[in-house]
Amino acid sequence: MSYFADKQPLVADIFSRYPASPQGRRSALMPLLREVQNAFGYVSETHAAEIASLCGTTATEVRSVMSFYSTYHTVPTGKYHLQVCSTLMCALAGSDELWDHLVSTLDVQPGEVTGDGRFSVQKVECLGSCGTAPVVQIGDEGYYENVTRAKCDRLIKAMRADIPPPPDNPVPVTVREDGRQMTAKGERVGASIHDLAPLTGSEA
Amino acid sequence: MKVVVDGHELDLPAGTSAIDAVFAAGRDVPYFCAHSYLSPVGACRMCLIESGSPRKNPDGTFVMEGEGDAAKPKIFWFPKPMAACTMQATEGMHIRTAATSEVVAKSQAGMMEFTLLNHPLDCPTCDKGGACELQDRAFEYGYGASRFGFDRRHADKHYPLSDFIILDQERCIHCKRCVRYFEEVPGQEVLDFIERGGHTFIDTEEGGLPVGFQGNIADICPVGALLDNVARFRGRNWEYDHNPTTCTLCPVGCSITVDARNGRLERIVAGENREVNEAWICDAGRFGHGFASEGRLTGPLVRVNGELRETTWDDAIAAMRQGLAYTNPADLGLYLGSDSTLEEGVALEALAGLLGTRSVDHWPRYPVGVNAPAATMTDVATADAVVILGADLGEEAPVLELRVMEMLRGGIIPPEFPHGTAIADLRLVERPARHPERLAVIGPDSRLAGHAGIRVTVERASGGDLLGALLNPRTDEARAVLKLLTDAKQPVVILGADVLNSPSGAFATQISDLAMRTGAKVLAIPAGPNSNGLSHLNLVPRMGGLGYARLSDAPAAFISRLDPGKRARGFTVVHDTHLTDTARLADVVLPAVTNYEKRGTIVNLEGRLLPLRQSALNAGEAADLTRTLAALAEALGVRTKVRGLKSAQALLRERLGVNVENLPESGVIQSLGQRHEAPTGLRHTPNLWTERMVPKPNPSSDPRHLTIDPRWELPMAGQPGGDD
Ligand code: SF4
Ligand code: SF4
Ligand code: FES
Ligand code: FES
Repeated sequence: MSYFADKQPLVADIFSRYPASPQGRRSALMPLLREVQNAFGYVSETHAAEIASLCGTTATEVRSVMSFYSTYHTVPTGKYHLQVCSTLMCALAGSDELWDHLVSTLDVQPGEVTGDGRFSVQKVECLGSCGTAPVVQIGDEGYYENVTRAKCDRLIKAMRADIPPPPDNPVPVTVREDGRQMTAKGERVGASIHDLAPLTGSEA
Repeated sequence: MKVVVDGHELDLPAGTSAIDAVFAAGRDVPYFCAHSYLSPVGACRMCLIESGSPRKNPDGTFVMEGEGDAAKPKIFWFPKPMAACTMQATEGMHIRTAATSEVVAKSQAGMMEFTLLNHPLDCPTCDKGGACELQDRAFEYGYGASRFGFDRRHADKHYPLSDFIILDQERCIHCKRCVRYFEEVPGQEVLDFIERGGHTFIDTEEGGLPVGFQGNIADICPVGALLDNVARFRGRNWEYDHNPTTCTLCPVGCSITVDARNGRLERIVAGENREVNEAWICDAGRFGHGFASEGRLTGPLVRVNGELRETTWDDAIAAMRQGLAYTNPADLGLYLGSDSTLEEGVALEALAGLLGTRSVDHWPRYPVGVNAPAATMTDVATADAVVILGADLGEEAPVLELRVMEMLRGGIIPPEFPHGTAIADLRLVERPARHPERLAVIGPDSRLAGHAGIRVTVERASGGDLLGALLNPRTDEARAVLKLLTDAKQPVVILGADVLNSPSGAFATQISDLAMRTGAKVLAIPAGPNSNGLSHLNLVPRMGGLGYARLSDAPAAFISRLDPGKRARGFTVVHDTHLTDTARLADVVLPAVTNYEKRGTIVNLEGRLLPLRQSALNAGEAADLTRTLAALAEALGVRTKVRGLKSAQALLRERLGVNVENLPESGVIQSLGQRHEAPTGLRHTPNLWTERMVPKPNPSSDPRHLTIDPRWELPMAGQPGGDD
């Protein structure tokens, strides 16, 4: 089934952001993938093929690009897609144990969806929130930070009841002009350019 | 442009890459991802060098170093080693290789260790062992010791990308040659990297690789990741007799290397001929060699009491003498296949002259030739417009299709250095912009038509006049083709079977007029691999003679390597490599050698003389046509001038004025003078993959074909094990 057939204005809009050349047409690949993924939670082979023909490229290239980014899915995801950061900082803070706990509690492996359609899991690389490790991202919405086993259990319980708490830090994170990041609650995170002090020779 | 490599100064043309500068200086640098005919991308990071350049002051003078007369421009070195394949050498640049730089030697050894981190040590079982760039370079540039005390990456070891190509995922070093090859050369983007980092593997989503030119990736893969499935596990590299020769399955005449082992043809790989096939061959040429070692006729057969019986050459000659005793030698029809060599052709011509026979023919051939300036393969690649008239290049001359694709991406031909073709030509780029507007295709649909900017469809079935569609254009597209030809500076017109089979009376003049008017060069694809060469010999039916089409009316016939499925009225001698349908009807069957086992000369579609060399294949008592004709002459009691290769070559010198001894690797284009033409009464349908060429499953790679001698049966036979 064709997804874009009745969305000509949308397609035209996406293509209009790129040069009107064969190379430009290929550049529209990512927004088109995003569009389908937003609608279905994943990009099926049929849709990938449709996108390939829209961009004038091959299904192989679409798969290549999709597989490069962990944000695109080739298989359906659950209502709550939990992405556990497994890069160094989170790993040091216990993300491996968190992952094991998560998959055994939910009884789900990457690529699967739980029977009730609620959960799917994925390991991802650094989410850029190392200061609050370990970090779990839900869908595209935001981060749960400092996820201990107890916090994990609370979150799962709430999601099972379909009343999950809002993420600690929604995506996109607010980044102010001075480079200061703010959490959803308005708390300051990390440093800003104004906090940086020049190194003096004697200290080095 | 002066460049200093390891202290040696040399003069190089502008645009030379640093890697070519190193090789031009006679020094060495290891590399995996660079390839002469592919874009340089710097993926493998092996070709590291130290480099530095002089720098200019704001006033345009050089920043100097030293005092007075000893002052020299100061060299500013890059702070780290650089990849030589993606860097352009510039005026005054200094380069240090591992031979003179500790830093380079250490970085290369480190890079090698990194590459080996994800590569299994399969050398003892890997088909690439003994010819592997990674193996050689690890020996020359690696640390020589392993620090890996852990289990390395594992991935699928027998991952078929198609029937012909099998991928060992854990051996892949991610050089991207195969991916770039498909994108850049045949223009089929069917391979790519999937996943990333240590999980990356090569795959296709298109349900297999397109047949046509897929085999080339087995040649260019620097490791044993992509293997020719037809030849897999057939032998080790050092066991093969490597014989460089010329492919004669179609009129392109690609340079190939025939690898034989124990008298069997096991593998064919591409050779390099910059003028003809660059470094590529088609799948038929590579994988369609099974017939050369399967079911060969190894001795003569004669018919006794209605049945073919094995015999000796002497008895076969006696049988011919007896069988032809009451035939007028002038009535003996002589027919030969168009892939016969020039030497064989001239031998047949000599015998025909001696016997006074008028029924001489070669097949396949077209009834006309073209008298217009002939285009070479390089002309096609560097043309600014190509018009293809009634040809399906995929069937008629596959590698010509690649040269047309080369034209579409700008006709960039890598320069040549004393060390060979440039290793990295920086003008070649990934995902090259193509110029479909330079290609017009008139005629039925073909693979190449999909790349053409202008398409004029005239269906074969409707008996459409293709040349007419071009000369008297009636549609907008047809007018556009004519305009393309007239406006171009170096146009080429390619003529194929659909126009050459049934030419009108005015055909030859129309073509030369067209060439004259537009300045186009013309490449008429011959019907057979050596039809071009044979057409310069008088091998067509003479006045009152019977052509190939009327072979069955001949009172007696000698048929060499042709299988019309019928025999002459009277005594019939067949000379062939296999017991064909025609051979089964013959009175005497003489064993022939294939073109892989021949010495001789063929003339390709450009008119280039190319040498055939003999591979070490087991063909029993088989003989080429020259020697077979000498036997026939003996049976007829005449003494022919040509009794072997030497005398045939002497006669060729006399007859065509060419010296075919010691032809250079890449061949020479030489005029062969007048052509001999005659109507054929037959239509030739080009068909590259004949039935006998289709590979049979390789018994050694498919466990179902394993025959296990119970005496030697080991407990693990048939059970999963080894690297599964
Ligand atoms: S399969 Fe071979 S050619 Fe392709 S990327 Fe891997 S190593 Fe290079
Ligand atoms: S293009 Fe022709 S000459 Fe070249 S490999 Fe293929 S069949 Fe042989
Ligand atoms: S390591 Fe987990 S967010 Fe950076
Ligand atoms: S980086 Fe691979 S050859 Fe230069």
